[in-house]
Amino acid sequence: MSAVATATASPLTRRHNPKRELWLAWWTLVVFYNFFFLVFFVITRVQPPPNPAWDTPRVVQWFHDNHFGLLAGFAIMFVITGMTTMSNALIAYSMRRMSVSRAFAYSYLILYSLSAIPGMLLMCIALTVGALRPDRDPELIYWIYDFAFLSFVGTMGVFLIGSLVWMLAILIDKNRVFPKWFGYLNLCNGLTEIVVSPAWIFRGGVLAWNGQIAWWLDMVVFGIYTGVFIFLLRQMIQREDFGAGPLPELSKAAR
Amino acid sequence: MIKFNKRLLVVWLVLASFTLGYLWIDHSAEDHAGSLRSSAVVTSSVIVIALIKVRIIFREFMEVRQAPVLLCRLTDAWVLLIAVALLGSYFIGTAIR
Amino acid sequence: MTTVTENTDKPAKFVPGQPDMWAFVLFETLVFTAYFGFYLFYRTQNPELFLHSQAQLDLRIGVFNTLILLLSSWSVARCVQSARVGAYGPALKDAFLTAFFGLVFLCSKVFEWARQIQMGNGFGSNDFFTYYFFLTGIHFVHLLIGFVVLGVAIYQLRSPVRRSQELVETCATYWHTVDFLWVLIFALLYVVR
Repeated sequence: MSAVATATASPLTRRHNPKRELWLAWWTLVVFYNFFFLVFFVITRVQPPPNPAWDTPRVVQWFHDNHFGLLAGFAIMFVITGMTTMSNALIAYSMRRMSVSRAFAYSYLILYSLSAIPGMLLMCIALTVGALRPDRDPELIYWIYDFAFLSFVGTMGVFLIGSLVWMLAILIDKNRVFPKWFGYLNLCNGLTEIVVSPAWIFRGGVLAWNGQIAWWLDMVVFGIYTGVFIFLLRQMIQREDFGAGPLPELSKAAR
Repeated sequence: MIKFNKRLLVVWLVLASFTLGYLWIDHSAEDHAGSLRSSAVVTSSVIVIALIKVRIIFREFMEVRQAPVLLCRLTDAWVLLIAVALLGSYFIGTAIR
Repeated sequence: MTTVTENTDKPAKFVPGQPDMWAFVLFETLVFTAYFGFYLFYRTQNPELFLHSQAQLDLRIGVFNTLILLLSSWSVARCVQSARVGAYGPALKDAFLTAFFGLVFLCSKVFEWARQIQMGNGFGSNDFFTYYFFLTGIHFVHLLIGFVVLGVAIYQLRSPVRRSQELVETCATYWHTVDFLWVLIFALLYVVR
């Protein structure tokens, strides 16, 4: 996958396979999301989320039923969490390639680095803690359950701001790194994150953390959004010419 | 340009009339005792009228009338899609109950 | 898609604003349609509750809101047409007028919410009011974004260096979306039985 050296030769273009790190980052991103799906949906079964309205004995039962899944799945997550750094770096890179200020890339990096904690790790830690001591007081287990899911679903604020940062960068960008409709899709994604926030209040119905609007519909939008940005990042790497001007369209750039 | 402005105003008047028409529907939907009744006829007609308004907004305000055929077809398809989704949800819900 | 016509008075076909914004509009409409679908379905499961709660809404405020937003669509459509023929003064006035109508809607909405809450109807009061506050709330967020979008349009119209017709049309397309989404929300929350 060698790039054609265009106008200004950056040091990278003189090297063999200058896109190697970019592809490594992209594949890490893809592998991470696959693991994420496997762990959260299949192994630990925390997605789709269980019912927020369960009483204490039922919750204890859930921990018991998922005991090994929780421990195994989240152990995997703790090992692979570092992969998210590549994902965030690649997205920040896309903003560096744009004609906009570097502040966008750096803000995004900071926001998303921090967001991994409430957005994912808190739940992994809390549920692991809950699963490791099954003889704990049931009220405490119930508390852990509530804490885990509320923190996972309810801390959307950071992701929302991150989406807006990326959106703004894309819309102002003159290098055509991404199509404008993807900027708007970031807005859609951000808006669905607002829609999730009532999950703090409702323990049942469409706006609960497992509700049809707050979870199912949001997952559809988020799934589309994730699929699209993985695809567009791939296109970006294919088009990359390591210059500072507009990114060439796909047919002209060498893959 | 005067011609365009008049057209836009007429469009607004049509939309406003439909909106005010809802007041009449609301009034006639109550029976003599003033009590509340759910009605599939009222609901369906309200939804259809709303979609007519949406289509007018698409074609006149959003200038789809002067847009390429693809956009015309897309927005019409969307209006149809919304109609099916809304009426579908309502009637399926009524049937299940 | 070019139009084949001998009549030279007919304008050529064009997509108003960025096609990207249209993609967003259609996508967001689908998402809202899903919200509406859930609302209508759950309404049929509990008609008495929904009917009685709905009666606490004031239809006249809803009608007023709708007329105001329709007016704002009218003014922004006029703005686009003025800008197209180069009449940037009137276009700017219309853009400010649109923002004014938007502000009236905003105040009216906040007032209505305050009144409902005073009457004891909150976000979690019952299923109907959950939908009421949810739908009007998420629409309100779109309205707030609409002000930012209008700001972009005004910024464009102000200086001769900018004045991108495509951008002004794109902003107008977004604003119309806020309007037609409200038309649907109004019909579903206030009028449907």
